[in-house]
Amino acid sequence: MKKGILLIAVALLLASSLVAVGCPRPVLEEPPVEPIRLGAVNPLGDITGRQSAQGMKLAVAEINAAGGILGRPLELIVMDDEFSPAVGAAAIEKLATVHEVDIFIGGMASGVHLAQIPILAKHGRVTVWIGAASHLVEAAIAALPDHDWYFHLHPWDYQQVEGTVEGWAAIVEKFPQIRLDRMFVAYEEGAFGAAGFAISRALFADVTIEGESFTSAVFGGGDFRAVLRHAKEFNPDAFVWVGFDPDALGMMVQAKEIGFAPPVFLGTPPGWPVGFGEIPLSEAVWLYGMWSPELKGVSPEAAHFWWAFIEKFGEEPATYFAPLGYVNVKFVAAGIERAGTLERGPLIEALREVRFEDTAVGWPLTIAPSRLIRHQGFTRQMILQWQGGRQEVIWPFEVATAEPIFPFPRWEDR
Amino acid sequence: MLAKLRQRDYQILIAFIIVAAILAFWRPHVLISGLQRGSLYVLIALPVGIIYGILGILNLAHGEFMMLGAFFAFSLVTLTGIDPLIAMLPAFPAMFVVGIVTYRLTIKHVVRAPLNQFLLTFGLAVMLAEMANLIWTTRPRIVWVPYAASSATIGPITFGTFEFVYVAAAAIVLVGMFLFLTRTRAGLAAMAVGQNPRGAKLVGIDVERTYMMIFSACLAVLGPIGALFLIRHAIFPEVGGPFSLRAVSIVAMAGFGNLPGILVWGIGLGLAEAFVRSFRGWGGWADIIFFGMIILVVFYRSYQRRVR
Repeated sequence: MKKGILLIAVALLLASSLVAVGCPRPVLEEPPVEPIRLGAVNPLGDITGRQSAQGMKLAVAEINAAGGILGRPLELIVMDDEFSPAVGAAAIEKLATVHEVDIFIGGMASGVHLAQIPILAKHGRVTVWIGAASHLVEAAIAALPDHDWYFHLHPWDYQQVEGTVEGWAAIVEKFPQIRLDRMFVAYEEGAFGAAGFAISRALFADVTIEGESFTSAVFGGGDFRAVLRHAKEFNPDAFVWVGFDPDALGMMVQAKEIGFAPPVFLGTPPGWPVGFGEIPLSEAVWLYGMWSPELKGVSPEAAHFWWAFIEKFGEEPATYFAPLGYVNVKFVAAGIERAGTLERGPLIEALREVRFEDTAVGWPLTIAPSRLIRHQGFTRQMILQWQGGRQEVIWPFEVATAEPIFPFPRWEDR
Repeated sequence: MLAKLRQRDYQILIAFIIVAAILAFWRPHVLISGLQRGSLYVLIALPVGIIYGILGILNLAHGEFMMLGAFFAFSLVTLTGIDPLIAMLPAFPAMFVVGIVTYRLTIKHVVRAPLNQFLLTFGLAVMLAEMANLIWTTRPRIVWVPYAASSATIGPITFGTFEFVYVAAAAIVLVGMFLFLTRTRAGLAAMAVGQNPRGAKLVGIDVERTYMMIFSACLAVLGPIGALFLIRHAIFPEVGGPFSLRAVSIVAMAGFGNLPGILVWGIGLGLAEAFVRSFRGWGGWADIIFFGMIILVVFYRSYQRRVR
């Protein structure tokens, strides 16, 4: 009996040793790689915020497909601020405490961001913001005891105007037939328009400027006939309207019906109505912008972004916040890669050194101090013109896609 | 119809005629743009007046229903390529159906609950705007028809002519509503329901059905109005809100249920706005004048009641 038990034991030992030799050893699972978490806050109900988030997702997908950063994947958590300061501030708090994000990105409205700044400062994590152009935001950031953690990629409002002053000076020099001695500015009566007018007056110091406010169609206005008549009486070289997207059609239609066609007709809404370029009244209207779809013809990065966005989402980028969202993530990823760590100090140093010769918005990107903060990205905007339904870049000349149409064609010739 | 004008409205009408005559010589473009803009206000406010006069409901979602009518017309125009003026025709029955569904699902339950009416119609306004946001996004949509920018020149004045369509449409809607309410059995029944629903029920009028038909008909009118609005304006989910406020304000000024008063006050406010805007640098006062006049009228009425 004992002998039998011994034989069975030996046989089991032999069998187990054979199994151990012949079979692969069980592999202990490695702990999952912790992702690098990016927390974005955008107004998702608006196309600017939605497409900005799509741009971010595209960049994250590309980076993860290429192996991630420092061997770790990127994880993007996007929250909606609903254009509400309270909701936007709560979103930052939740991203910091519940999702424990490593870096904050995104952004749009200055009013929302002003409410977010104290929360961001409390957590002190690296923040790379692509919205909030108001100089009030810059002042609020600069007033913090330490704001090294804050990077701002969108040009500040005064930088945008400074850029256009520089651009117009260059255009007038290159095309002497274009004159800018007298300008009439029609501005919507809210903060956006009033600030635009005030800054224009300050910066176009050599130009005789007259201005008048109007009620935007956004607020139930839309009757611009009186202000257009006053502009016509002033007989300006350039007529500029500072308003919102829904004002564009009314402004053109009503200018036509009273026969007002100044040599330069310029609109500065944050975006344009769908199909605006297709109406004949849009031809030769000047505009300012951070980006144009036509840049895909001159910028390889802009072209790559354009086609990748369409392939992934089945729609065209319709706002510059789409490429800006993409740049937002690419910039952060380049900084992390350069730093080799997520530690705050080295990461801030590395982000400060990131340089892109070309980006999805068609511009180079470097970080330099602005008037009040240490880390500012883009500083200019382009001068564009509607031509044949496209937003052609007129200035800067190094990325120009067309020559300007001047003067503004007569209404009867359209 | 003029016989229905209240004495106060007569006085105001005569004052307007005098003002219009002065403007015609002094600032003719003010007269033209004031008349055109005021007619748009009248057009949008008339259904509010009817709904309030008969159902006793102040529809805070009125502008949003107009926005819905405009988006319906926009979709037809972009999908089929038809002219927005033709899109007015299907927009009428489409919005009538929207009216029936809205009435049956919501309004029906709050007809006799004033506070709930406010909350409900406010909720409907928010819901409709958000729904439009989901379907069409916040980006403004436009259609282009060359006649939208048509103009004429008389002497030194060049002015747009398309918005005279608003003047004609306001007159058609006003006369149409008046004839319906005074010359048809359904209209007379609606008037009876508006004055005394219990009495109307006792004489065999289907009060519930009358409410539904009047509410739906008023929303149906907003379909063609939305299409007309689309021709000259960009449309977006929030476009209706300010017009709800203006429409309700005009109805309040005219006195609830006073349709000719809506015509008088709507055009009067349009003229006042255009007059203020015609002075360079004073355009920002237009809204203050608009709502200031409403406050004055409300105070005046309150004072009159106390005196009596």
